[in-house]
Amino acid sequence: MIDEVFVYALSTCPWCRKTKQWFDDSKIEYEAVDVDKLSGDEQDAAADKAYELSGGRRFPVVVINGEVVVGYNPDKFLQHLRSWGGGG
Amino acid sequence: MSNEPRKESLRYLFERVVTPLGYKFTPDAELVDELLEAEVKLEQDLGAPYCPCQGRSGVREEDMKIVCPCIPFHRAHFDAMKRCWCGLFVHLDVTDPDSLPQFPPDED
Repeated sequence: MIDEVFVYALSTCPWCRKTKQWFDDSKIEYEAVDVDKLSGDEQDAAADKAYELSGGRRFPVVVINGEVVVGYNPDKFLQHLRSWGGGG
Repeated sequence: MSNEPRKESLRYLFERVVTPLGYKFTPDAELVDELLEAEVKLEQDLGAPYCPCQGRSGVREEDMKIVCPCIPFHRAHFDAMKRCWCGLFVHLDVTDPDSLPQFPPDED
C-alpha cells in the first residue's frame, strides 16, 4: 500500500526532526519542507498552507493520506498509514 | 562567537519565570541545549527568542505570544499536555518527558 506523506517543518524544531526520523526509521517515504528555509513567496505559501491545514501555527504539521496530524505523535501517524493497517 | 553566555542568561531568566507557574526545564538536558541554541539564533535573527516549534505571523501582537517562555498565553493547552509545545518546560512533577504527548489544543 502506498502512503502519501508530507511534513511541514521548521529547521529550528527538534520535534520536526524527530518526525522525519520516525518516518525514516519506519521506512516510509515522505516529502518534507522546512518552511523557515524557504524565502519570499515560497515561504509565505508554504506557511499559509501549513497554518490552514493545522488551524494554528504549531509545527510539525504532517499530512498522511489527506489526514492532518499536528505535532510529533507516532500513534496518530500509525492510525492514518494504510501500510500499517490504518487510514485510507 | 559562542552562544553559551546568552544561553546561560536565558536559562537563568526562564527558570525564575516558569517556576512560579508550576513548570521546570525538561530533564532532557540535550533537548534543553538544542532548544536554547535555537532560541538564541532566533533572537539574533529576528529580535526575540521565539518558540523554535511555532511559526510567526508577522503581526507583533500575535508573535509576542510565542516568545519564550510562552506558557501564560497557552496555559490550559500546556497544562493538559504537562509540557509546553516545544518541550523546553514540563510540569514540576514530570520525570519522564518522553512519555508526554504533543497534541494541538482542540484535542485536549
